[in-house]
Amino acid sequence: MIKNVLLVDDDREMLVALKEGFQRFKDSFAILLAADGLKAVESLKKNTVSLVVTDLKMPGMDGFELLTHIMEHYPDIPVIIITGYSTPEMERLAREGGAVGYIAKPFLIENLARQIMSTLRKESEGGTLHNVSSGMFLQLIEMEQKTCTIRLEDKFSNKKGILFFNEGELFDARVNDLQGKNAAYEIFSWDQVNLSIQNGCALKEKRIHSEMQHLILEAARRKDENVVESGQPAVMEEVEPFEPEPVDAIAALKEKIIAKLGPACGLEDIYQDNAWDSRVLQFSRAGDFFNLGGLEMGYIDRGEENDFIVLPGENTTVISVSPKCPRDKLLRILSE
Amino acid sequence: MQELFKDILTMEGIKGLMMFSFAGEPVYREFNQGPPEGIESRDWSLFIESLAGMRETDLLFKKGRLYIRRTDIGYLVVLMGRFMPIAMLRLQCDILLPSLKPAKSVKGIRRLFRK
Repeated sequence: MIKNVLLVDDDREMLVALKEGFQRFKDSFAILLAADGLKAVESLKKNTVSLVVTDLKMPGMDGFELLTHIMEHYPDIPVIIITGYSTPEMERLAREGGAVGYIAKPFLIENLARQIMSTLRKESEGGTLHNVSSGMFLQLIEMEQKTCTIRLEDKFSNKKGILFFNEGELFDARVNDLQGKNAAYEIFSWDQVNLSIQNGCALKEKRIHSEMQHLILEAARRKDENVVESGQPAVMEEVEPFEPEPVDAIAALKEKIIAKLGPACGLEDIYQDNAWDSRVLQFSRAGDFFNLGGLEMGYIDRGEENDFIVLPGENTTVISVSPKCPRDKLLRILSE
Repeated sequence: MQELFKDILTMEGIKGLMMFSFAGEPVYREFNQGPPEGIESRDWSLFIESLAGMRETDLLFKKGRLYIRRTDIGYLVVLMGRFMPIAMLRLQCDILLPSLKPAKSVKGIRRLFRK
């Protein structure tokens, strides 16, 4: 089962660079992106997430608030904190809040990937099983009075769900934003599943108060009668991490520069070019190190016919200008 | 080196500077209000690598600015406030640049007459 890791950060370049960097690990986990805590909450409702990696300082809902929300509603989902403003006090608060990992920026992608994979491995520490009948297997868990968390994937629809057992008793179930009995009915209607077992159960509150046998029979009845509880997506549904950039952003930028500096301002071209992304990421990291806040732009002179101004974003915007352009004025206009 | 960079470091709004080799090794650093935490252990190689081919780079952040100048011995990185006028700094760097050259080895018979 490919596990979903949700990355939450308001720094676009960081998110894009992490997503690209994690391409190498695509056989181990898939990436979902969210630009702040609120978008992350939305994504958690729509997808089965195995792990959350979140920044702390974000607009709207910050990392601490998100951590509290996860501990309350999804206590089984481990959270790793990444922050550019690390202090021992912050680390203490994050760990006390339930975070399993804490990494100060800048960090190597490999280090974060290693921590993600070692955390994800715990999801299946009790073993994995393929092509099994969920009903039969779950009755065994009940009989053996096991305390565990079981993640299941329906072979037919690819839907994912999770069951929480405490000493053989089914405490709760979840399929996307469906919880409790209704989620259990959904899971028990799956004929063939792949599943992984994690020892222990993070859930303390019992939300299902029916016998397993009753739930399995009711699930079968509902399946026969084709009762649809909700339209959860069968596939991973990515919440748009950032508001889409306006299509005519480049035209607007061009208009702004010419209106302020006149047509002979030395502006040559404006375009988007992802080839600059890794450089922009390194610039941002240097800024983080010196605690300078987010990168707004960079002016680059390569000794060529034209100089370049790079504006970070999901797609890096490049403004090609004559070296004779009024550089300081131009930068001031762009930062307005 | 401190003498070399004195004029830059005493400019208003300048917070510090670092000199890096082309391999990303810090060669010199001076900060007016003490060095940032973790400066000893930070690996700068990827940052310096990202500057390849650039003669001059001016990076504007929300709370400050980094001005980077390529020299014959590596990169000079100047840390400054957000609204620092850059023209004077560029001029200071133009003056400084000829002094930042690799040490010449004395060859041939001239080495015998070194003072």
